[in-house]
Amino acid sequence: MITALALDAQGFGIPQDLPALRRYLQAALEVEHLTIPVYMTGMYSIVSGTNRPAYFTIRSVLVEEMLHMTLAANLLNAVGGTPDVGHSQFVAKYPAKLPFSSDRLPLIGLQHFSPAALKTFLTIETPRKLAPKPKPGDGWTSIGQFYDCIRQGLEHLVKEQGEAAVFTGAAARQVGPDDFYNSGGEVFAVHDLQSAQLAIRVISDQGEGTDGTIWDSDDLIFGEQRQLAHYFRFNEIYTARSYGPHDTPADPPSGPLIDVTWDDAYPIHGDSKIADYRKYAATSAVYEQAVAFNTRYAALLRYLHTAFNGTPRAMALAIPTMLELRDRSEQLYRNPHPDPKLAARGLYASPTFELEPSQFDTVSPTVEQNLRLAGLQPGQPIDLSPVPSH
Amino acid sequence: MTETVSAEGAARRRYDAIIVGGGWAGSVLAKRLGAQGWQVLVLEAGNGGTETWPGYLDSLSTFHSAVAKVPNAAYRPNKAAPSPNVLDLAPVRDPQAGEPEFTANGYFVQDGQLPYGTDYLRELGGAAMHWLGAVPRMLPDDFATRSTYSYGLDWPLTAEDLQPWYAEAEGELGVAGHAQEQKELGVVTDPAYEYPMHHIPQSYIDQYCDHRLGDAVIDDTVAQLPYALRTFGLPQARNSTPNPAYRAPYRIQGAVGLPNYGERCVGNASCVPICPVQAKSHPLRLQAAWPPSVTLATRCVVTRVRATSTGTVTGVEYRTYTDPASPVSRSYLAEADVVVLAAHAIENARLLLFSGLANTSGQVGRNLMDHPTLLNWALAPEAGGPVGPFRGPGHTSGWEVFRGGPGRRARAPFRIEIGNWGWGWATGAPMSNVATALGIGGDKDGNVRPDGVFGPELRRLLGSSIGRQLQLQIAVEQSADPGNRVTIDPARYRDAMGNPRPILTYNLDEHVRTGLFAARLVAQKIFQRLGATDYTDHAPHDGVPPLGHFVHTVDEQTLDLAYSGAGHGAGTHIMGTDPKSSVVNADQRTHDHPNLYAIGCGSMPSIGTSNPTLTMMALALRSAAQIHRDLAAARRPVTVRPAAEPANPEKEKVTA
Repeated sequence: MITALALDAQGFGIPQDLPALRRYLQAALEVEHLTIPVYMTGMYSIVSGTNRPAYFTIRSVLVEEMLHMTLAANLLNAVGGTPDVGHSQFVAKYPAKLPFSSDRLPLIGLQHFSPAALKTFLTIETPRKLAPKPKPGDGWTSIGQFYDCIRQGLEHLVKEQGEAAVFTGAAARQVGPDDFYNSGGEVFAVHDLQSAQLAIRVISDQGEGTDGTIWDSDDLIFGEQRQLAHYFRFNEIYTARSYGPHDTPADPPSGPLIDVTWDDAYPIHGDSKIADYRKYAATSAVYEQAVAFNTRYAALLRYLHTAFNGTPRAMALAIPTMLELRDRSEQLYRNPHPDPKLAARGLYASPTFELEPSQFDTVSPTVEQNLRLAGLQPGQPIDLSPVPSH
Repeated sequence: MTETVSAEGAARRRYDAIIVGGGWAGSVLAKRLGAQGWQVLVLEAGNGGTETWPGYLDSLSTFHSAVAKVPNAAYRPNKAAPSPNVLDLAPVRDPQAGEPEFTANGYFVQDGQLPYGTDYLRELGGAAMHWLGAVPRMLPDDFATRSTYSYGLDWPLTAEDLQPWYAEAEGELGVAGHAQEQKELGVVTDPAYEYPMHHIPQSYIDQYCDHRLGDAVIDDTVAQLPYALRTFGLPQARNSTPNPAYRAPYRIQGAVGLPNYGERCVGNASCVPICPVQAKSHPLRLQAAWPPSVTLATRCVVTRVRATSTGTVTGVEYRTYTDPASPVSRSYLAEADVVVLAAHAIENARLLLFSGLANTSGQVGRNLMDHPTLLNWALAPEAGGPVGPFRGPGHTSGWEVFRGGPGRRARAPFRIEIGNWGWGWATGAPMSNVATALGIGGDKDGNVRPDGVFGPELRRLLGSSIGRQLQLQIAVEQSADPGNRVTIDPARYRDAMGNPRPILTYNLDEHVRTGLFAARLVAQKIFQRLGATDYTDHAPHDGVPPLGHFVHTVDEQTLDLAYSGAGHGAGTHIMGTDPKSSVVNADQRTHDHPNLYAIGCGSMPSIGTSNPTLTMMALALRSAAQIHRDLAAARRPVTVRPAAEPANPEKEKVTA
């Protein structure tokens, strides 16, 4: 979050030169990533096998946020930047302020599956049309406004300097459809203004809908099945009702009811920190497990960093790490909070997503070794069997 | 999204083609014909719903809660369109000498010496809803065993004829494979061929076996030939990484029911019966790509094909039900220019027999086949550490060398699959290990057993007993035998809707039994070379024989053997050039009826040692091209009047 917070301090506007554009795109990576621990917490705190519509809805959005993060990395690589995701300052401290955002927006915290969590999700995904217009210097009130600034800056730079001077990144740094997929849309290489505009459109449309509708544009752009944009997918869960055929963005959903059982979740104290767990290290394994979770999360970010910096195939090592994090977080949620007072209130333990530089130091040698052992080559088959499991 | 209509809706109009059955073969045929603009009706006996997201989740929950995780465990029972189940068979205690050692309950009536231990599923998507996804091509010599090795039947086609269709089928299925290996195996002859996706990597068990055996030579004492072992990766219809060298950029297809859900294979290890992330390919993906010219009607059980006195068929009669539990049904009629039966080998035969069609040869229902599969299980040596079972797809590599060559004269050929799921198939592991370790089941007097363990000791015991499990499942070729057959007896055996149940008469001939015998000896030797302790046991215990038990003697050596069904029902309407000895021709058109096709594994005169789906798909695509030509030819004018010519060309020339 360091880039985003630094920019935030300077004030919100349209990037005027290439270094500024690159800073904005690095900030975009941080904004996209900021949503991931939030949605992960909402999804994995659902009691296994219950709330299936909600679970798969959150999952579909979560995976599309990973797409957005990857597209932001492709954009940044295309304009000659270097994505920087593998260090502790990349990760927000929760509850977090959305970077550049207006102070009027509430802070984003880690919350278990609940109406309050969905309310937060809706805040994150608010479409431009439903958000108050930003005042100059006041920060944005929707992520769409933020990306619109990037688009305007990019178009302006291309007009001024020409495409060749802006899109200077090596093609080999682009993550393509072979290395990542699994929800609406598709990862594609960004190499010129047209593909860059498309990437920005995919990110905006999936989040807030296309052309003033509740729908994303996966059907128009990728020939896939049309889905509700993120805001509206979340609104269905929040209101426990699906959208009807004639609903517009301003309408509440008017379709059939959806089965949402808020009680089928592990309530957590989302502001719990490793330091809180450490106090009970003698009586509960939660401390040890929560540290292990964060360490593995550091490994995930290191793999992603490698994937975004010239070795797209490294995504193959990020994915098993994501599955491991799923299992680890579900295990944590099944444990009572180690603080007896919180446990007495029926609260459960939760991953904290606090990342320290030392954790990156711990995982780096293993990550480097695994990348070497996997021998991932572009276009070649992936075989992770030489990589030891953890 | 697949559009479905009611039985009434389906009967309301005429079609160019009616396809009976919405499994792999019917789905790919409908996709092809529909894309060419033909009006196609697909009639599916199953209840439907598997193509929706709630239906998929229901299948997943049904599987999770099933006590016995058999192939049909993920799908709900249906009285109107009953399916056979591997649990329908039971052994007979202390069987009389020469009498069958099993009883069969359920959908099949069985009156043969040996049990037909194979199931299928009558549901949208067919048995492919529970298949493993193994798609090896057949070997060239599999197509001519009669002329080459003096057993079985020859095909009217060669492997070379099928090469382009195999390639098409691999594109439709979405196959992950290792092209170079398959070229070395001799089944891919196009030197430039590539699979749509990169191969699924070898499992740890594969590598364990490979590392310890290398290219060891095993003597097959039955064939009296030495065989050098070499593992080959299995081509699989499973999502992996797209291969950039494939002829067109390959996009992995997502899930059915929920937009864009399907993942790549991450080794969940429950491919049979259901992949929890839809990485395994299934026919509902093809159905999702059906154009609007294809109409689907579920809950439509076809009862008869209708024919005129001149031999052409006019359409089908079908019955629809509203409640799968109490199948009160009504009858309807749908008409089309071409009727295609794509309902599984046994169902196709049942329909033809009940319709009284296509049987001039007397071969309808005959030559029923399967791959009798011999299970071998052993524990790897403690010193080598765990081998990592229960990870990845059911099997990822095999030893192919016993499949072809002159050894086939002496014994049926076989393919050795290196199992990735421990003793799961043989003994019900790992649940059976847990039960044993806990002492569940009690002693024979019903008392609590004293030797149950728990806590760390339980964990240690399970780690040791499960982590070292090796299983070789060996699929043996069964050649066509007219005595192995499907018949019907509507007066005695009907299902709840009133349709005749299949009566199966099944046995293994000497050649097949000798193949199983040789396979057992080879497995013993492989286990010996691995230093593994062989726990394979096919002998009766306390008077109870295992299912598929028989005793076989070769060269004065006698073994108790037992086989399982592989789910590879084939034969029953075999193809050939002679209408007197075969039911369909190489296009899968019935000899007797110019517009009736019977497609699927039923058309195969032999099945070699390859899981038959891929070959079935290649044949279906080949038939789709022929049916398109039939339909187009029937619509072209008999003579095309030439455009008006000038009265006097010479004069025209002059004036010009």
